[in-house]
Amino acid sequence: MNPEAVLVPRAPENVRPALAARTAAVAAILRRKWPKLGGAALAAVGGFGRAELFPHSDIDLLLIAASEEEVRRLKEPWSEFLQSLWDLGLRPSHAVHTAAECAADHDGNLELIISLLDRRFLLGDPAIFAGLDHRFEAFLTKRRAAIARRLIDATEARHAKYQNTIYHLEPDLKNTPGALRDLQTIRWLSRLHPQDEAPELSAPFEMLASLRCRLHEMAGRDRNILHFEAQEALSSNPAALMRDYYRQARIVERALARAIEAVPPKETALLGRFYEWRSRLSTSQYTVQRDRVWMRNPAAVDFGVFEFVARHRLCLSSAAIDRLAGAAPQARWEDWKRLLSLPYPAAGLRAMQQAGVLASLIPEWRFIDCLVVRDFYHRYTVDEHSIVAIASLESIADRRFAALLSEIPDPQLIRFALLLHDIGKGSGHDHVEASRRLAREILLRLGAPEEDRSAIEFLVAHHLDLSAVMTSRDLHDAATAKEVAARVQTIERLKQLTLLTYADISAVNAEALTPWRREQLWQVYLLASAELTSGLYSDRIHAAEADPALASFLEGLPVRYLRTHTHAEIQAHFDLARQLESRPTAIEITHHEKIYRLTLLARDQPGLFASVSGAIAAFGLSIVRAEAFSNAHGIVVDTFTFSDPHRALELNPSEFDRLRRTVRRVVEGRETAEQLLRGRPKPSRSGRLKPSVNLNDAASERATLIEILAEDRPGLLYDLARALSAAGCNIEVVLIDTEAHKAHDVFYVTRDGRKLDAAAAARIRESLLEAAL
Amino acid sequence: MKKIEAVIQPHKLEDVKEALKNIGIDGMTISEVRGHGRQKGHKEIYRGMEYQVDLLPKIKIEMVLAEARAEEAIRTILSSARTGKIGDGKIFVFDVAEAIRIRNEDRGEAAL
Repeated sequence: MNPEAVLVPRAPENVRPALAARTAAVAAILRRKWPKLGGAALAAVGGFGRAELFPHSDIDLLLIAASEEEVRRLKEPWSEFLQSLWDLGLRPSHAVHTAAECAADHDGNLELIISLLDRRFLLGDPAIFAGLDHRFEAFLTKRRAAIARRLIDATEARHAKYQNTIYHLEPDLKNTPGALRDLQTIRWLSRLHPQDEAPELSAPFEMLASLRCRLHEMAGRDRNILHFEAQEALSSNPAALMRDYYRQARIVERALARAIEAVPPKETALLGRFYEWRSRLSTSQYTVQRDRVWMRNPAAVDFGVFEFVARHRLCLSSAAIDRLAGAAPQARWEDWKRLLSLPYPAAGLRAMQQAGVLASLIPEWRFIDCLVVRDFYHRYTVDEHSIVAIASLESIADRRFAALLSEIPDPQLIRFALLLHDIGKGSGHDHVEASRRLAREILLRLGAPEEDRSAIEFLVAHHLDLSAVMTSRDLHDAATAKEVAARVQTIERLKQLTLLTYADISAVNAEALTPWRREQLWQVYLLASAELTSGLYSDRIHAAEADPALASFLEGLPVRYLRTHTHAEIQAHFDLARQLESRPTAIEITHHEKIYRLTLLARDQPGLFASVSGAIAAFGLSIVRAEAFSNAHGIVVDTFTFSDPHRALELNPSEFDRLRRTVRRVVEGRETAEQLLRGRPKPSRSGRLKPSVNLNDAASERATLIEILAEDRPGLLYDLARALSAAGCNIEVVLIDTEAHKAHDVFYVTRDGRKLDAAAAARIRESLLEAAL
Repeated sequence: MKKIEAVIQPHKLEDVKEALKNIGIDGMTISEVRGHGRQKGHKEIYRGMEYQVDLLPKIKIEMVLAEARAEEAIRTILSSARTGKIGDGKIFVFDVAEAIRIRNEDRGEAAL
């Protein structure tokens, strides 16, 4: 009977009997062709031993010889036997060993040992086989732990070759994580280290085995990669086929993790010490062992465990996953925000995914669970892509983008946007709009505040914009820069969107973000950033509002003012402006958690900005962000955002009033900032960052743009502003930003109503550099 | 046979491909390259630091054609890749000694 003629079943449940039938058929052929060699035994090992012969896989045979001399004697008849099999179109893989060789443990023979775990007597001298059997069992009993560990090492090495993910769009059914080899590994590990509960793996086995059978049948040889064409040939709905595949692969992945955990590790002393040190992360709620988290009994089964994982980059133990499986932890927006601001949020999200919790916290996640995107570039399923994108921000190799990330005060928003940016992909319509809509619903449900909601919605709605510009617009055309600037509207949004795009492209596949593409993305960022900075000065509000008094207030303010303040804030400022009819200044101080904001409205006068910066610094407060704008009627709107490192305001509520009064006196000229700052200690400088001052004549028609980058310190802003005032400059527009000890200050100045001439520019540059030190 | 190599602006790729397809040329090789011409790129100012960007991203298109078709292809690329500004790129033309199809060893123009 021609073994190739065994029919491949269409129904997975029949695959085991079919494989067994092929095995029996091959065994019958071997029996016929066997030359009845004495002094030897023929054993079936590996897949043949397991009675799992696939249509075109190798037939694993082992000839056991009684001794070394026997091996030499058997060489020729053995070759003839194999030749006769090859002539029949079979593919025997063969080895000849003595029993002693089989029961030895050394490098390079792990394959032999593993194949022997499935051994079965076929033909020849049963006594010789029994001899091997006996010796091998004894060997196993002695060395089971070492063999298990070697098997685990080999498995981990193989997984690394496949990027440690089960989500391959064209998986290798033998070797990809979550596939047949892993299934066998689970069985072998269970044999070496029996667990309490044997895992239920018949469903994954049947699916993988029947797919492999059909691949062999279609290709006519031992082909195991499930290419796109094969997926289409095997199913009328390839996307559904693959979704099933990934779900089964997940089961295998989890069972393998459990089986590996059951094996006691032999760590080198160094690794052991590392794990021991890491286990000091254990708390009253969680135990950490070998970088895995177990939940102690008093631990509440809630969101906190994911935060723990995300803080230290651990993973959940199978026991913890089990405990979470039944629970339905709740999370509000604050919980998510906290999680996403920890150092390793991707680890936390993966843990949620493994425990099945992600889909219960965000039900819409099910739309993209294991969803396959069928195109040439996408390497991952949609859900995996989103998590990989978040992970890509954890370690950015490109210095420029890494610096950009450090300038963003709330990267959690970018991360949450990445989590949701493709969530509309399963809907069959334009996924950008679908994702935006779903994101909005999710955020409302979680109770996210409006500013966070609008930021994330914006990012999701525009997540493809920058890549579109990169590929299809002329980056050297001024119109391109203007268009991008108009879309993003503020520098903050531009930075967030740039990093979102960076992450999104990085997660398409491992090579997608080539240096070439990175360069293009950076170009887009540069152009738009320059446009927005110059727009600060030149884009002013002209449009009329319904209320003429309000229109008059807004007239001449930079457009940025409208984009960075809510209606409520603008109304509040307008009310303050009205107070100016009866008094020279109007001041308001608000605070939210540890951040304070002082808003000042007054008539413009020379040195105003410098004085107020000085007054604030004199209170020991640290200015983090500031803006100074003036409208067409000479009213300045200055906003200072500051922190209170010495807790002066926090501990003494009366200090608010004193601050307000002091600023008022300084503005009204009854006190100077110099007087206030006298006697304050000189700030210490760590000198990490060399200050740089750049004057740009071309950024605007009427003013000179001065950009300063320096190490942040108390009173820096005052020193810079005072240097400018002392040089006779009028500060027209200011935008200050500080992040991670770096101060980035943008001033638009004029002198006698005009741009600075070259001589003045050089002098001012010198004095600013000095002031920045 | 002639080989045509064209270095063009990245955002012009779709236009050039479309135009070549319209005159019946489908076979080409595309690579992402970086470079500059006489202008040596340009200066960027960011955060007070001036740095020279002289490796500008470009696209290189290569194709091998029968000699009789070369002129038409060149004219097509010229008109579809041009923006009139600096940085539009260049076209180079080479003689080809031999072309062979790997699948069935066709040689010469039959391989194109």
